[in-house]
Amino acid sequence: MHIPDNYLSPSTCAVMGAVMVPIWAVSVRKVKKEISKVKVPLLGVGASFSFLMMMFNVPVPGGTTAHAVGGTLIAVLLGPFAACISVTVALLIQALLFGDGGILSFGANCFNMAFVLPFLGYFIYKFIKDRVNSEKGEYLALIIGSYIGINFAAFCAAVEFGIQPLLFKNAAGQPLYSPYPLSVSIPAMTLPHLLVAGVVEAVFTVAIFSFIKKVSPGTIYEGAKKKTKAIYGLIVALICLTPIGLLAAGTAWGEWGADEISSVETGGNALGFVPAGMKNGFNFSALMSDYGIKGLPDAAGYILSAIAGVVILLIVFKIIGSLKKNKAGNISG
Amino acid sequence: MPEWLLKDENYIPQSDKDAFITKSIMTLLGVLSRIRAQSVYKEKKFKVSAALKVAFTFVLILLISISKSIAFTIIINVYLLAVLSMMNGEEIIKILKVSIVTSAFTFVILLPAAFWGNLFSSIFITSKVFATVTAVNMLSHSTRWNSITSALKRFYVPDIFILVMDITIKYIFMLGEFSLNMFYALKLRSVGKNKSKYTSLSGIAGTMFIKSNEMAEDMYSAMECRGFTGEYQVINKKYKMTFPDFVYIIMNIALILIFIYMERV
Repeated sequence: MHIPDNYLSPSTCAVMGAVMVPIWAVSVRKVKKEISKVKVPLLGVGASFSFLMMMFNVPVPGGTTAHAVGGTLIAVLLGPFAACISVTVALLIQALLFGDGGILSFGANCFNMAFVLPFLGYFIYKFIKDRVNSEKGEYLALIIGSYIGINFAAFCAAVEFGIQPLLFKNAAGQPLYSPYPLSVSIPAMTLPHLLVAGVVEAVFTVAIFSFIKKVSPGTIYEGAKKKTKAIYGLIVALICLTPIGLLAAGTAWGEWGADEISSVETGGNALGFVPAGMKNGFNFSALMSDYGIKGLPDAAGYILSAIAGVVILLIVFKIIGSLKKNKAGNISG
Repeated sequence: MPEWLLKDENYIPQSDKDAFITKSIMTLLGVLSRIRAQSVYKEKKFKVSAALKVAFTFVLILLISISKSIAFTIIINVYLLAVLSMMNGEEIIKILKVSIVTSAFTFVILLPAAFWGNLFSSIFITSKVFATVTAVNMLSHSTRWNSITSALKRFYVPDIFILVMDITIKYIFMLGEFSLNMFYALKLRSVGKNKSKYTSLSGIAGTMFIKSNEMAEDMYSAMECRGFTGEYQVINKKYKMTFPDFVYIIMNIALILIFIYMERV
């Protein structure tokens, strides 16, 4: 599910990166608060754990092997916010040092694998587990959570692929990035995940979880039960924030330029080169805005489908939320 | 000597599938050897500063990605291959292996699109993917990883992320070796048919988690004992421009100018 560079357009990547920024900020704050002291090492070790998790090859019927992502497992073991940071760092190392997954598409990869996968998996797990108070219920929760988590992450990746040919074409009408429309990309991405990868992920998650529970039950992250409501609120707030991130995507480009320039300045005594760097920087953003204006209908359509993506997410969470409310109502009533 | 020791035995263990263990071992070994290669890294004579390399690699990838002309992509590919040709043979093999596998994979994925009449974009994207993957791998093979992480500091990446990244690389190595040993043990002890092999896999991963938890706690105590308060500071060395740096900057600015020239339509 690691999206390499050039499958997605740079503007998609920018939007996905902008969406991730508030999520990272919230995660860092949450982790600092939840872990009483600043246990920075835990994050690093958690990240290496999630990195190595992807190295474990699991046999698949038919003689081949596949590897699990383990996003839900890490969220269940370390807590979803710590999982978000751990997986992010693991993905960064894969992209920057191992060339696995793109640099520009880093934001999109993080959105799929460090946000959607662990959070959705974890909250489905938590939601079921808090309602069914038995060991079987817990394992069932784990299976459903990890299965839905990885499949939904794959679905998100498919949507990111699928909107590319709709929005980015050259003058001859040929797609510039991933050429497959949604009707191809969604089945191509989700079917293998529904049939194989999802099952591998669920089996792997349950097997490891039960092992750890048996051997060392104290190490598993315990989300406070009464806190769940606040966390749901936070998720909804995050989703409400994402459109803002979307709108701010334009400024993100500008900010990037500014960062770039200031980094050139801090580059040291190379003052003679700063103007050149700045000039290039400005030309750059001018080029970008040109592109945006020229392709106004494209950009509008793009933002439209991005909003659609967010809205779909919102609906999914709303449905989960209302199911929860109904259940709560039934119990009290 | 006891009688049974002198007897000939012709025990032939039943064959069993253990491809997944071998594959896991190979993947882990690949990662570990990449990290281990860092410690024997030699200082090169012509060394471009890591911060510049990271910055211009990023700019290059961005240019490739927004470029709409195939000519520019070809120029970049030629440039990258030219720089690659100056590295040593072993590194070239390692880098090219990754780039060729990735772009071949991309081409296969895009093949159906080519049959639908999108041959242009199939070739275009494949060559773009080749360029970006080569660029990133050249950066990662030619620069010490800790100088890449400290280069991130110059781009105002928060300290906590740099620290976490450094710890992560270190612990990928430590936990990786740890689980590698468990894989070896599992492989060696699985003589003949071993039905519990699959459950052992989850045991290895589970043990790795417990171990990582212990290690994190130990590391935190060790850092606390040495006066770590959660604040993390990087000593910023005064940066001096060298001759290779100038050459590198000029080459990259030339590429940016070519880009602007090619894309003005």
